Amino acid sequence: MHALTLIVILPLVGFLINGLAGNKLGQKAVAVIGCGLPLVSFAITVSMFMLLMQTGEARIETVYTWATFGKTSFEIALYFDRLSAVMTLIVTGIGSLIHIYSIGYMKEDASFARFFAYLNLFLFFMLLLVLGRSLLVMFVGWEGVGLASYLLIGFWFEDPVNAKAGKKAFITNRVGDAGFLLGMFLLYNALGTLDLDRINAAFLAGPVAVSASLVGVFLFIGATGKSAQIPLHVWLPDAMAGPTPVSALIHAATMVTAGVYMIARLNGLYLHAPEASTLVAWVGAATAFFAATVAIVQTDIKKVLAYSTVSQLGFMFVALGVGAYGVAVFHLLTHAFFKACLFLGAGSVIHALSGEQDIRKMGGLAKRIPVTFWTFAIATGAIAGLPPLSGFFSKDEILWFALASERGGSVTLMVVMAVTALMTAFYMFRLLWLTFMGASRMDHEVEHHVHESPFSMTGVLMVLAALAAVGGFIPIPHFLEPIAPLPKTLESMHAYHVPLVGLAIAMGVVGLIAAAFVYRGDLALPKRLRERFSGLHALLSGKYFIDELYENMIQRPLHWISEKVFLDFGDRRLFDGTLNGMASMANASGGVLARVQTGSLHLYVLLVLIGSFLALVWSWAHG
Amino acid sequence: MESFLAGLDSLLLYVFAFCALIGSILVVALRQPMRVATALISTMIFLGGVYGLLGVHFIAAFQVLIYVGAVMVFMVYVIMLLDPRDPAVRSRFSPLVVPGIIGGLLLAWALVHAVHGLLGNATAVPARFGLKEFSVSFLNEYWLHFELTSVLLLAAVVASLAVIKGASGRDRG
Amino acid sequence: MDKAQLLLSLAVAMFAIGMVGVIIRRNVLVMLMCMELMLNGVNLSLVTFAHQSGTTVGAVLVFLIFVVATAEIAIAIPIVLMLVKRKHTLDPHAYTDLKG
Repeated sequence: MHALTLIVILPLVGFLINGLAGNKLGQKAVAVIGCGLPLVSFAITVSMFMLLMQTGEARIETVYTWATFGKTSFEIALYFDRLSAVMTLIVTGIGSLIHIYSIGYMKEDASFARFFAYLNLFLFFMLLLVLGRSLLVMFVGWEGVGLASYLLIGFWFEDPVNAKAGKKAFITNRVGDAGFLLGMFLLYNALGTLDLDRINAAFLAGPVAVSASLVGVFLFIGATGKSAQIPLHVWLPDAMAGPTPVSALIHAATMVTAGVYMIARLNGLYLHAPEASTLVAWVGAATAFFAATVAIVQTDIKKVLAYSTVSQLGFMFVALGVGAYGVAVFHLLTHAFFKACLFLGAGSVIHALSGEQDIRKMGGLAKRIPVTFWTFAIATGAIAGLPPLSGFFSKDEILWFALASERGGSVTLMVVMAVTALMTAFYMFRLLWLTFMGASRMDHEVEHHVHESPFSMTGVLMVLAALAAVGGFIPIPHFLEPIAPLPKTLESMHAYHVPLVGLAIAMGVVGLIAAAFVYRGDLALPKRLRERFSGLHALLSGKYFIDELYENMIQRPLHWISEKVFLDFGDRRLFDGTLNGMASMANASGGVLARVQTGSLHLYVLLVLIGSFLALVWSWAHG
Repeated sequence: MESFLAGLDSLLLYVFAFCALIGSILVVALRQPMRVATALISTMIFLGGVYGLLGVHFIAAFQVLIYVGAVMVFMVYVIMLLDPRDPAVRSRFSPLVVPGIIGGLLLAWALVHAVHGLLGNATAVPARFGLKEFSVSFLNEYWLHFELTSVLLLAAVVASLAVIKGASGRDRG
Repeated sequence: MDKAQLLLSLAVAMFAIGMVGVIIRRNVLVMLMCMELMLNGVNLSLVTFAHQSGTTVGAVLVFLIFVVATAEIAIAIPIVLMLVKRKHTLDPHAYTDLKG
């Protein structure tokens, strides 16, 4: 009964079939295989989940022994407990939905089969990541999703901009992975095992030979790379160069949440790492705040959503930082619902407008593409935190624990997050208004061809919108309590619990009203604001010029070293020079020795004579 | 009588040896190639005499027959063919005279030392062998060498023919 | 002096003189003749040893040297003739085409 292995392997099979033979099979077959196999994985996951609820014990399956060194062995094992169940359901469920959406979205693309192959490959690695029992298997999945992300961001690689974006994503991830590896090494050195459940048990049992905070910081560096937190967040906005289903699946719902999952899984370690947890919380808060500020001025529909994702991930890390691991996973779930819905809705808009992505050239679409509009609106309400939509519940919990948790909650933190929530509501409603409401600013040609997307796309949108609406009623934090206990809250703050809920709702409503006010009518007000605050606007539009900073501080010196030190000096002068030097030395000595060849027979015979004389003397001397 | 003959034997041996030595020096020293050839012929004949005195008459016969009768005759023909006004005849010695002579002396000294111990004891009276024993052993034990030398001679014949044909071909062309 | 010693010394002398002659003389034909002299020296030493030992090995080798010397001369002289035809001189200093 290798059900877990099956869950992981089926997408891999899909990858192999579609990757190797996809072009010959035809679009229909590719779609059936590409979507069918993830759906089967989802079905198996659901049945495994039922089994888990019945028996109540975690399930471990060892697939394969990877390597054995003497007494230690590394195995590829899969682990299914409540947390893995939630993650796997998200990955296979939303993954399958997005696969189905892609059938309609990528219909006219020539590389249809390659797309589905890469998507299935991504699913395979992501499932390895969430189901892996040891950090090693998780790392394989970690790297693998990075690879799949690179392949999919640069899917339309003929355009060098896309290829560059893919490279940026991969390389930035790798920088983070260095930290991940260091954390792994420290853990293995101290504990002798990389199994996640054993690591947690070891830290919970008593003091361990390595500083938990140190390990926590290193692992968090890996998480900043994968989950796009400051300072390694720069790849996510560029990653919007990939097709929209990719943005939805990888850069909203699943891959970027890998960092969150990792920290939630290792809660045993982080419970004993207060310094690391504080770092996690404040980096998350800073990221959330700054990303929200940048999102306010973005003009590309996907870039707004990208910065929004970075910001929401910041929320999740704040929750992890104050010890509310279950709440972070709850927000992960609701975020997956509404962000996927938003991205796919954006894809539907782009599809309807024949490729237009600039929101300054949209408007008045609400009546023309109603399904897209309503699903988008519901998801926007969810992300803004309007009750009773899902985002309200998860965001409210985060704000509560940011204020009141005994493990690092503070008023400052809560205020930062509340302001961010306000900004979130503002820029999301701004997006909704500029895209769907008001007068049309579209090009005439584009306006002519506006059409609603096919059912394969709108159907998925409706399912996701429904989940975004009611998903908040799924009691995830309570469900995960046995694995990730919620932190105790300060007594003094209990009085503020209900007012805080009111504050959260207020933030959402105020954001809605402000956006409606600013962006109504003929958009003269935003223009005046832009001119008034032109300096601030330039700073935000330039994304705080972090990319330029990295370019000057890191890329230029590296480039210089590469060029001047390694190429000019090392390669050309040292290596080539040495070889050429040896060759010319051989040449020179050859020239010298050639002087013996005078062509004079007399000399030759004289040399023979001398040689035989010496030979005789030598043999005489040596008996 | 015996002792007289033995004494004559040794005397003749010394004389022949001495003359052979003089002949060799003359080979190196004389100016005109014809005279050099004559000196060499005389050296070879004296050596033949030495072989005869040693008892290996058939080898002495071969020495005169093959060396003098074939090799040196050929040499003399060629010398007569070539121009005596050749500048090589005028300047005898090459620039390497002095190093050559020094080297030669050194070589001679080294060889003498090398050969010195090889003689062993001459106490045992060696068995005499004549042409019969020689041919029997040659064709029985050393038949392979015999065949190989015939191949070598064949090769020499073919080569000479090739040289002549080639030379005459170029002349005509 | 013992007969054998004398003859061996003579053989060594002839060999050395022959080699010196090849180095010293400026006439290709004379150089050839000096090489014959060297061969004769070797023959003499072989005969002396054969005489000492009493086996036929030495004599066989002497005979083989005769044959080889003959073959050698049969080729060497035509080579010299062709060289002379090209360079119009017997001086080996003119034959330095293969100079390194």
